[in-house]
Amino acid sequence: MRKNQGWLGWLFASPYLLYAIIFFLIPLVWSLFLSVTDWNLISPTYSFVGLENYAAALKSQGVQSAFFVTFKFMAVFVPLVIAFSIIVALIVQGLPRFKGLFLIGFFLPYLASGVVSSLIVKGILSYNSPLNEFLRGTFGLDIDWLGSPFAALFVVALIIAWKFTGYYALILTSGFESISKDVYEAAMIDGVTPWQRFWKITLPLLYPALFTVLILSIGVTFGIFTEVYQLTGGGPNFATNTWQMEIFTKAFSNLQAGYASAIAIIASIVTFVAIYIIRKLLELWGKRNGWT
Amino acid sequence: MVGPKKKGLVFRYLFAIVLLLIMIYPYIYMVLNSFADWSQVDKKFFPTEYSLKSWEWLLGGGESVIPRPWINAFFNSLLVSAGSTILMMVSAVMVSYALAKIQFKGRDTINNVILFQMFFPAIILLIPTFLVIQKVGMYDSYWGMILPKAMSLWAVFMYTNFFKAIPDTFIEAAKLDGASEMQIMFKIVLPMSKSITTVIFLFLFMERWTELLWDMLVAKSDNMLTLNVLLSQMFGPYGGYPGPMYAASVLLTLPIIVIFLLFAKKFQEGMQFTLK
Repeated sequence: MRKNQGWLGWLFASPYLLYAIIFFLIPLVWSLFLSVTDWNLISPTYSFVGLENYAAALKSQGVQSAFFVTFKFMAVFVPLVIAFSIIVALIVQGLPRFKGLFLIGFFLPYLASGVVSSLIVKGILSYNSPLNEFLRGTFGLDIDWLGSPFAALFVVALIIAWKFTGYYALILTSGFESISKDVYEAAMIDGVTPWQRFWKITLPLLYPALFTVLILSIGVTFGIFTEVYQLTGGGPNFATNTWQMEIFTKAFSNLQAGYASAIAIIASIVTFVAIYIIRKLLELWGKRNGWT
Repeated sequence: MVGPKKKGLVFRYLFAIVLLLIMIYPYIYMVLNSFADWSQVDKKFFPTEYSLKSWEWLLGGGESVIPRPWINAFFNSLLVSAGSTILMMVSAVMVSYALAKIQFKGRDTINNVILFQMFFPAIILLIPTFLVIQKVGMYDSYWGMILPKAMSLWAVFMYTNFFKAIPDTFIEAAKLDGASEMQIMFKIVLPMSKSITTVIFLFLFMERWTELLWDMLVAKSDNMLTLNVLLSQMFGPYGGYPGPMYAASVLLTLPIIVIFLLFAKKFQEGMQFTLK
């Protein structure tokens, strides 16, 4: 570390400072200001409405659905992606060779654009698709995948789980690798069953990697947009209406810029508080397993 | 003793390969359907009759007003993604170098502000950022798509941690030889960070390449759309032409897969570091 380089430090940091002022500070203040107006994104005039936007937002079906839909997505997506990525990591871990090659292969879905995966899924789930013909022909099942509330939510969660599985498996694999082989040998001598070994030894020792994956996946659920926009538009009957979808619709389709800004602020507060609480809970869980 | 063990191993590899094929089946489905005869698109798990009609339609412009809009959109995507990613990389290296290797008054404050901004839910910024871009006259322009995504705090965070691990003695020695701060950054620190640079570059480029919401808001005229936005817009109208849509999906997905595979080895090395 060298001293007396004040100007040089500020010079090197200046891209961030510029960026923070233009794309963080100004928008932040602007957003707070907009949220107490009834501006419609186009007209040159607007009037102040106080906290009316907030009151209306909290009572609206759109905001209430976004609140619950996010947690529903979390309840479906997070267990799915965690289970998938643990399975993939366990399988790759058991291979003596070509581990890297397989991990690269499983990572490929991460590269898909949400638009592309939505398009493929729409094709696979269309009425006359091979999958639906098969289900109808073999089991007599006729599922309206995107037309029924739970199925639509599940399909979107599954697409996103598909995308992230390989990425999270990569993180978990390095977690597995850091677990010492001695622990397993000791367990084997004590006659621990594979089932017990997984739940009582592997999972608690995997905590740091698992923590990362859980936090990342929970973060993902608060930012779902593309797949919902593409496949369901938030429907049917608000069943997949996420925060981003709600804000986008209100601001750029209905042109209620003031009202949508209030929703955005509510969404940020909910997101921040929820992630904070979940983080604390996960840390508590870690402490009980001896991690600090 | 060797027999059953070997059998178990073969079984394990078989299982891994089957699972991998299931995972990448959507891509296989996409590619096969882009070459399928139009009577078979979305009708079979593996089409049996093939034609190039979808690709001819796509590359010839189809029924669109603009000739070859997909090619145009492809180059828009390339320009916007490359522009954004380069700016994100350069700004991240500069800022991280200052935070990790230059001691100056206010450094801790900047560090804390960055951390604060990183955990701040970005959703609140969507509408006003759009208004900022509109006010400065960048609506429907390349800069409008690039500039709000010219800085990645995640990249700053990653680089800062990495640079901190580089011993100061290297830098001191170069200083004694009369190297300037810029030279040290580009000739000493950056070459030592190749694998992490690969990881950061790939993640940033992938994310930028598949961005929908922001580009959709900023790009309005037909010749400004990125490939992802064009594909999204044609989702409904081209619903009756699924074949060309699959071809367009291949056009969007293939480059990013090629880039990823080219850097895959370095990427894995870098990931090993970032996960420790």
